Amino acid sequence: MAEQFVGKSHPRFDAEKVTGKARFINDIKAPRMLYGKILYSKRPHARITHIDTSKAERLQGVRAVLTGFNTPDVRVGFLGDQIALKRDKVRQFRDEVAAVAAINEEIAEEALELIRVEYEDLPAVFDPIEAMKEGAPLIHEVDARGKPRRNNILPLPWKLEAGDVQKGRSESAFVVKDTFRTTWVHQVCMGTSGCIAEFDVNNNLQFISVTNVPFGGKDRLDMFLRNLGIRGSTRILTPYVGGSFGSKLDTDIYEFIAVLLAWKTKCPVKILFDRLEEFTASPPRQPIIGTVEQGCDKDGRLTFRVVEMILDNGAYTSWGATTPSVMMVPISTLYRVPNISFRATCVYTNNIYAQAMRGYGNPQATYVVEQSMDQLAVEAGIDPIEFRLINANEPNETSPMGLKITTCPMKECLEEVKTRLDWKKKQGKHDGHGVGVACFLHVGGGARVYRSDAQGLILKVDDEGKVTAITGGTDQGQGSETIIRQMVAEATGFRPQDVNIFQGDTEICPWDVGTHASRHAFMVGHAILMAGAQVRAKLLAMASTWMGQLISRNLQKKARQDPDFKIPDVDLSLLSNPENLDISNGQIFLKSDPDNKLLRLPVAQIVRSAHMVGTGRGEMIVAEAFYDPPNEMLNAEGKGNLSCCYTFGAHGVEVQVDQETGQVTILNYVAAHDVGRAINPMLVKGQIYGATIMGAGYGLTEEMQVNAGRVMNPNLLDYKLLTAKDKIPIDPVIVEPIEPSGPFGLKGIGEPACVPAAPAIANAVADAIGVRIKDLPLSPEKVLAAIKGKGR
Amino acid sequence: MRSYEYLKPTSLKEALELLGRYGEKAKLVAGGTDLMVQWKKKIISPEYVISLRNVPELSFVTYESDLKIGSATTHRTLELSPIIREHFPILLDAVSNLGSVQVRNSATIGGNICNAAPSADTAPPLLALDAVAHIAGPQGERTMPIAEFFKGPSRTALASGEIVTHFSIPRPSPNTGMAYWKHTRRKAMDLPILGVAVLLSFGQDGKTCAKARISLGVAAPTPMRARKAEAYLEGKEVDRGALDEAGKIAAGEASPRTTIRGSQWYREEMIRVLVRRTGLMCIERAKGAAHG
Ligand SMILES: Cc1cc2nc3c(=O)[nH]c(=O)nc-3n(C[C@H](O)[C@H](O)[C@H](O)COP(=O)(O)OP(=O)(O)OC[C@H]3O[C@@H](n4cnc5c(N)ncnc54)[C@H](O)[C@@H]3O)c2cc1C
Repeated sequence: MAEQFVGKSHPRFDAEKVTGKARFINDIKAPRMLYGKILYSKRPHARITHIDTSKAERLQGVRAVLTGFNTPDVRVGFLGDQIALKRDKVRQFRDEVAAVAAINEEIAEEALELIRVEYEDLPAVFDPIEAMKEGAPLIHEVDARGKPRRNNILPLPWKLEAGDVQKGRSESAFVVKDTFRTTWVHQVCMGTSGCIAEFDVNNNLQFISVTNVPFGGKDRLDMFLRNLGIRGSTRILTPYVGGSFGSKLDTDIYEFIAVLLAWKTKCPVKILFDRLEEFTASPPRQPIIGTVEQGCDKDGRLTFRVVEMILDNGAYTSWGATTPSVMMVPISTLYRVPNISFRATCVYTNNIYAQAMRGYGNPQATYVVEQSMDQLAVEAGIDPIEFRLINANEPNETSPMGLKITTCPMKECLEEVKTRLDWKKKQGKHDGHGVGVACFLHVGGGARVYRSDAQGLILKVDDEGKVTAITGGTDQGQGSETIIRQMVAEATGFRPQDVNIFQGDTEICPWDVGTHASRHAFMVGHAILMAGAQVRAKLLAMASTWMGQLISRNLQKKARQDPDFKIPDVDLSLLSNPENLDISNGQIFLKSDPDNKLLRLPVAQIVRSAHMVGTGRGEMIVAEAFYDPPNEMLNAEGKGNLSCCYTFGAHGVEVQVDQETGQVTILNYVAAHDVGRAINPMLVKGQIYGATIMGAGYGLTEEMQVNAGRVMNPNLLDYKLLTAKDKIPIDPVIVEPIEPSGPFGLKGIGEPACVPAAPAIANAVADAIGVRIKDLPLSPEKVLAAIKGKGR
Repeated sequence: MRSYEYLKPTSLKEALELLGRYGEKAKLVAGGTDLMVQWKKKIISPEYVISLRNVPELSFVTYESDLKIGSATTHRTLELSPIIREHFPILLDAVSNLGSVQVRNSATIGGNICNAAPSADTAPPLLALDAVAHIAGPQGERTMPIAEFFKGPSRTALASGEIVTHFSIPRPSPNTGMAYWKHTRRKAMDLPILGVAVLLSFGQDGKTCAKARISLGVAAPTPMRARKAEAYLEGKEVDRGALDEAGKIAAGEASPRTTIRGSQWYREEMIRVLVRRTGLMCIERAKGAAHG
């Protein structure tokens, strides 16, 4: 049957945001609410010898001053390597040393200025390679269990071996090896971090949060409460969220601090970051030093790939340290490489620590691999696109990591880049004008990083003929509020405008792993198909009970009111078999006579009748689904089919480099993407545009300048996010192979376009100037230095 | 932010009186786009804020014997002014690339100059145009060439109680080309890594340089003129080669620093390149002006 709503560019439903009506965390106030503020460390590595909070406590309007000395020692973070308010020592400039709750923000800020902290400096280390050396200052003397640590290397030995690298090396005609670096970049959400914590009289915590993992967040806060000895549980509520890009996956330290302040004061406490705090105290994307060696035979077929990654973990551990699990995907599977060796080492330093960010390790890994691909193509004397075509992934193959590729239009995407950029004419000139390409693959059907990758959904039909979708997922701006409506409408036979969405309340919404890994559309889509089928079946069964009587009553009424009306000769008994009925646009009708207005009823009327029938006989329509996909967790060797399907694509970029100033201008940009099936082409393009620009910023301008542990450019003037005026002429090409494992044929598209942009640009710049720059971003200074043969 | 009093004088006289009365406790505010940032960062914490927004004498653009621009004229007003568009492209280059339209709607030329940032976008053009600052104060009025106005980063020659009322700019001779180039990392909401303003007036023959002005932003602690480079060009037939040489001389006169926005070697290199490029733009524009 032709689909009515899916596949169409339906306009977004969250227009509230552009009218200023949408309520974000900034807009929410609770009665008696206090404002929390955090005092951060003034040293990168030091012992705290003394904290004097007496003056701050005496300031009028201050309700609580907390430090590590008057709060319980509860470890947080997934390796348990920190406490919310630091007591023994500080290990980075963003270390939370004290927190204040006051009746307004100004007083809270003033109170922070009155707190005196005395430090005794310790030797610090900011370079992960230095930090790995024997005798480097120890960032953590003991681990979470109190066991002494001997070095700064995290106990997370990421490793993947497949095939026989030695054999691959011996079969190679050409081999290249090089080292590349990436730096910290920030998610820079429009909406900064914030929360409101409040305890009720039964010690239950109500937590208004910007998280996109409400149930994971609830687990972490529940555990925090237990460890504090508070017998209560957490309810998480999420308002509208102004972007996440990964930054809102982990429960951050300020959130634990808000809980401590709320518990201490018994008042609601709000903490809301300003931009400075967002840049200095919220965890960005992790920097890497990546060494890659790979080879190919004389025909250009890849023989092996060895990648070693060193991750600057910063002082503590959040999800940044788990990104190697996703790096494995491109390192093992981007192109067909039979022999693979991958190792990643995360190292504690006195730098800021890192979280998830769009692509989750994939941008760094693809940056490294795709530059090496170009180097190898040069070595083998093959055109970079032809080289990629020779090695391109194909449908229905299993990679050395155990990823089972289903649909895969990588070659089509490469061909799109080739023709749209007029590649043959432009490549290889080194005259300031160049073209570059990079491919990617990313998880497109969830990622089983926990034992479950499930999403729960409840659909409920009311007697106004509206369907409410109650989901455990969250929307942080990606547009799921629109495609959920399109898919529910399609699956149930209603119109998108008849669908309401309820989300962001752990007390009511069914369980979900979290809105990460580009998984939301895929999971919720499947759950919608499952629950939608039940809603349809229940409605048709209900209709078969009621339609005959209701229609007959309608006809008699009409005849009474209009003497000229003759009751037509229709066989109402057909209506009592659900198999004869169908629903569309919220109306139930006879399949065999779909245009007959007399034999059609709105769902509302049927449901109302079923509600109002009297004691014991009433019915309502609610359906539920818990979709847990057939993907696999990685085994001890790092292998397994992580996702139900993988999404592929190629970005091609044409640049002009000003050889006197080093400035790079993007003249043309082709972003060819496999999306399985575009549920809403307009929104898919929005994701491609947005993520490509984010990726181009990673390539060209964005960089947190961290100098001896301190963020030097914590503002939007000096952190060079591209602006609307810098818009890149992106030509988004949507390739739709229709994914059999995906609901309505779709694959996830939230992250992918962020992945290949930087390496495609780096390859184009190398093509333009004939020299390769091996660290990000490609600032005019670096480009000019490379042209002049200065520096490196 | 502590509490403060916001004062709204409606004449220059009243503004001067208020400034005299509250002295060091007061701050003038025009568009507030620099002031608010410093206030939030606690660099300043005025008890009285005297707004110049409602002082009509401070907001105007006229072009008779010379160009006069009121200090509280917004960059957006200048950007849209037919006078500026037609006769002073060097100022148009500066004001139309400053901040964003939203910033330009509020920010003023007087604020830009009085804030005295080494990166102030209107400073190099005003230097190249030989602008004169008109200053009103407790002792009456005085004037000062803009070249003497900047004393250091965020420091000016203004005495306490003084207000800049307007800038006057002499009418350029015929056969003049003028341009400002702002070198940035992105196209909006950015301060220059380097700003270069060049003005070249040619003699009757249309080739010999009668007057040259080269001024630089972010090349020294204050916006500066590259006088040696100017002298090198005057009296010469200016071509690419001469401009190249002028660029080198200018780079030698400047003393740029390494900051998070750019390093010294890069800025020096850009002076060499951009003086030449901006000079070539002037030659093009002078031709256009001569024919137009
Ligand atoms: C987002 C953003 C982007 C920006 N981009 C740029 C840019 O691209 N280029 C650039 O050069 N600047 C930029 N700026 C800085 C600023 O906008 C300009 O310097 C602007 O011209 C300042 O004018 P204002 O009227 O807002 O000054 P205000 O902030 O009102 O005043 C600045 C200072 O000048 C003093 N002052 C103002 N008027 C007078 C007067 N008549 N007499 C004596 N003293 C006076 C004030 O007391 C204050 O100390 C930007 C600022 C922001 C916030």
